[in-house]
Amino acid sequence: MHEGISKYVYGVVPAAAAAPGGAGIGGASVETVVGRQAAAIVSDVPDGELEAGRADLMVHARVLEEALAGGVVLPMRFGVVLPNADAVRDELLERHRDQLVSQLAELDGKVELHLRVVYEESALMTQVVNSNPEIARLRESLRDVPEDATYYERIKLGEMVAEAVNRSRDTDAGQIIDALAPLATAVDVRDLDHERVVVGASFLVERKRMAEFDRAVDDLGRERAGRMRFKYTGPLPAHSFVELSVEA
Amino acid sequence: MATAMQRSGGGGYVQRSSSSGLAEVLDVILDKGIVIDVFVRVSLVGIELLTIDARIVIASVDTYLRFAEAVNRLDLGTSGGQGLPQIMENMTEGGAKNKTKGVLEGAKDSLFGSDEDDDESQSGSGKRSPSRSRSGS
Repeated sequence: MHEGISKYVYGVVPAAAAAPGGAGIGGASVETVVGRQAAAIVSDVPDGELEAGRADLMVHARVLEEALAGGVVLPMRFGVVLPNADAVRDELLERHRDQLVSQLAELDGKVELHLRVVYEESALMTQVVNSNPEIARLRESLRDVPEDATYYERIKLGEMVAEAVNRSRDTDAGQIIDALAPLATAVDVRDLDHERVVVGASFLVERKRMAEFDRAVDDLGRERAGRMRFKYTGPLPAHSFVELSVEA
Repeated sequence: MATAMQRSGGGGYVQRSSSSGLAEVLDVILDKGIVIDVFVRVSLVGIELLTIDARIVIASVDTYLRFAEAVNRLDLGTSGGQGLPQIMENMTEGGAKNKTKGVLEGAKDSLFGSDEDDDESQSGSGKRSPSRSRSGS
């Protein structure tokens, strides 16, 4: 074992899978540590705390994408580093062998597709004002008054708008999820991370149903053009659908 | 294999891409996947700006004030306004999508942070994408 070198782990693949090509974090070559029924995709990193930035996240994503192109992969969360290849075998591949093997089987032939839908601000605000007379009135009454004089009224107005947006979101997000969920094996709806997000969700989809899923997303996007913006990403390894979280 | 594989199809209503570099995907990588707590050995440099700051508390005074400003900025009913009918009209005119985006983008950029930057880089030539630091392939 080399002193000073640890193994950064990208993900777990079937034992027979080839290592993805290309460079890993810090430019090190990507290789596999092979266990009895599964292998880990790893590359060398220096010992100690790994200082990582956005570029390193992207390397992690790229290595996993290449692995996915070759078959099923269970992605690790970013930042898992084991002391050496033996530890990768013992602490990851052997200790969790049953779970890893069953998840490799379960996720084989499936990918994660991520959809994020955001309201277009202008269209959303127009809809809110036009369909809520009380908001329209308050808005008119504040329009030509200096901001300093109307702080609390503006908070009140914004709160009413927020409530209207929440109602709108409930309807719109429900329609989108209802249309797509039947085409997916599983759905993971993300927490809202912005006030104008309609919905953010990851879908676990069989590869053979991807074209169908693509069309469904296209249809939803076309029907909502001008009101919402659709951002559709994938295929990704099934980050949101692996289930192994080990607390020591 | 290039990471910026664009899947074809669709009428341009849905913005598509594969993963690397998109804010929300990086978020997934930080948040989801197999993890063995005792072996997480990473300190993130500059990532907080990307993910944590984007998580604006949804029901806050700041949010309310932003919404109030957004509705006040609307120019309803007067000619040249950008109400929904106008937008829909632009959307249906051939090739008008970019123009429409242009109209809406100014206000949005100031509200959204890095996230919308990503939207922009994806829809444009990609020059502004964070690929500057991607090596190889």
